[in-house]
Amino acid sequence: MKHLTVSTLALCAAMFGVQANAQAVTAEKGGNANMVLLPKFLGILPFDQANRGAEEAHAELGNTGTLLYTGPTPENSVAGQIEILTTAGSQGQAVVMLSNNAGDQIAPAAEAAQAAGTKVVTWDSPIPSGAGETVFVAQVDFGSIGVVMADMAHSIMGGEGEFAVLSATPDAANQNAWIAAMEEALKGEKYASMKLVDTVYGDDQSEVSYNRALALVDSHPNLKLIMSPTTVGIQASAKAMQDEGLCDKVKVSGLGLPAEMVSYTMNGCAPGFALWSFVDLGYLTYYTSYMLATGKITGEVGETFNAGRMGDYTIEQDPGRENGKRILMGPFTVYTSANVEAEAN
Amino acid sequence: MTALRSWEGFLFAVLILIYAVNAWSSPVFLTPGNQINMFQLSVEKIIVALVMTFVIINGEIDLSVASIMGLAACAFGWLVQAEVPGGWAIMIALMIGLACGAFNALFIVGFGIPSLVVTLATMIAFRGFARVLVEDRGINAFPAWFNHLGQKGLIGPVPLAMVVFAVLAVLAYLILQRTAFGRKVYFIGANRAVAEFSGLDVRAVKAKIFIASGVVSALAGILFAARVGAVRGDVAQGFELDIITMVLLGGVSIFGGAGTMSGTILAILIVLALRNGMALQNITGHIQTGVLGILLILSVMVPIIRETGGRLIARVR
Repeated sequence: MKHLTVSTLALCAAMFGVQANAQAVTAEKGGNANMVLLPKFLGILPFDQANRGAEEAHAELGNTGTLLYTGPTPENSVAGQIEILTTAGSQGQAVVMLSNNAGDQIAPAAEAAQAAGTKVVTWDSPIPSGAGETVFVAQVDFGSIGVVMADMAHSIMGGEGEFAVLSATPDAANQNAWIAAMEEALKGEKYASMKLVDTVYGDDQSEVSYNRALALVDSHPNLKLIMSPTTVGIQASAKAMQDEGLCDKVKVSGLGLPAEMVSYTMNGCAPGFALWSFVDLGYLTYYTSYMLATGKITGEVGETFNAGRMGDYTIEQDPGRENGKRILMGPFTVYTSANVEAEAN
Repeated sequence: MTALRSWEGFLFAVLILIYAVNAWSSPVFLTPGNQINMFQLSVEKIIVALVMTFVIINGEIDLSVASIMGLAACAFGWLVQAEVPGGWAIMIALMIGLACGAFNALFIVGFGIPSLVVTLATMIAFRGFARVLVEDRGINAFPAWFNHLGQKGLIGPVPLAMVVFAVLAVLAYLILQRTAFGRKVYFIGANRAVAEFSGLDVRAVKAKIFIASGVVSALAGILFAARVGAVRGDVAQGFELDIITMVLLGGVSIFGGAGTMSGTILAILIVLALRNGMALQNITGHIQTGVLGILLILSVMVPIIRETGGRLIARVR
């Protein structure tokens, strides 16, 4: 599975390279740039996986600077991210790689960091207004996530019935964009008999998400599916349905990590879900940041560079954000009982 | 009184130590830019800590301050979005803070319900209103002058919020330590029953303090909105604990009646310098929270141990 994903990635990237019709710049190894990888908060698996990818690229590029993985606690995420980003500017870090959880509230801090000479590369979740952001490394095209979620819902629900969304925080730019994209996809003829009845927020905390999932079942007696576009939410929902013996009635789907979801997929609580590789996302983000820090690219639309084992990538205008620029990592994998076990181990 | 003075002396020594260690371990620490950032990152909390000092010395607690900050910030955002001029939006947000404080006072003073219970309830309620107002979306289209006030220097590189803090700190010091009102705050906090029997206007003093707490919290919320240039329902969520931590560390007794404004201000400087120093050493997240937690436990424990110790010694004699 891994090989398939990587090779499709390379293929996709190669196609982009051709489209951009530009020579890809390659990295000069052994540079010196201090990097900070700043996740939404510490303590959940996907961010640790992204760090693994970043560490891989860090070693591969022989950066003599440091790679620091640091973040706030979940309860203090917004203020903590602003604090760490501001401090990074004072410390003179070369690049902060940010998975933004603070919405536009972090924009002034990002602009201040840029003014102090620290670049801000976002990944996983961008700064909505694009202010203070050098470039966003997007995991997958936000529109296509919407279609995949709609299709997973369609196949699990047999094309008809009520379902609800359990998201992360109300202001998480990525989740909101994916939900909007799914709502757009749902307008199609194919999904006419499916009804999205509610959208609730579990704040990306297990306990809150667990309770919200149960509340959804209570308030919508005909609910057939909970769609959760967050790794915390989908796992908590699946556990809630399993604990309450509701899996025959209410299924769970969305975006999840194979290692966390394998048991729920095998017992039928969450028959299908999707995700991209966070390791790859961390790797690509690090490559992008290193190229920026060493002056090989400047972050302009149209620049093409080589990201090691993942192939060539081009900076483009972000179709979802007027003032944003992005690098699209591309495709992701749908996991079912057929392939989840192999990926989980 | 000697004991209090020595607690502040101890805090001062700790502060010097932290500054020395920070300056030694990071060349950035003492730069004006970093010092300003250090204050600016927590300026809203430390403004509220000033008024919280009055609340706790008075023998009460106000857990709703952070929710009032959030409500005022969200109300401001909502009003701006509804195309109310910025100046009016600020006035209305401050009035909302006043109303929140008066609401707390009504139940605490009027109906005699413990402030812990009342403000725990309003902490949840005011936060709920804030979330309803902005309907789970961020609002960021503030007037340019407003963002400028929050993010740029007002006097040289010093931003408005720090000037506000400095002015309020002097005012708070003068009111608490140099006026009749201040003495009443201590007296009521030390022994409410005696204060009542002495004919003190206990209810009026308490009501004024809670209303002031509401207004100052609203002001802090608006300053927060200006600093980050955007609001959403969770603005300032959880700040009440940091604020109370600073005040208790300053030697203010959780049982009321004891503590000083200079103690609070020293504690504020300690917490800020410690946080900033740890951040510069890349110590963040859970470890930082843990260190601040231990600090709080010590700050509550040490005076108690000293008191019991003193009493034991007195008994032996």
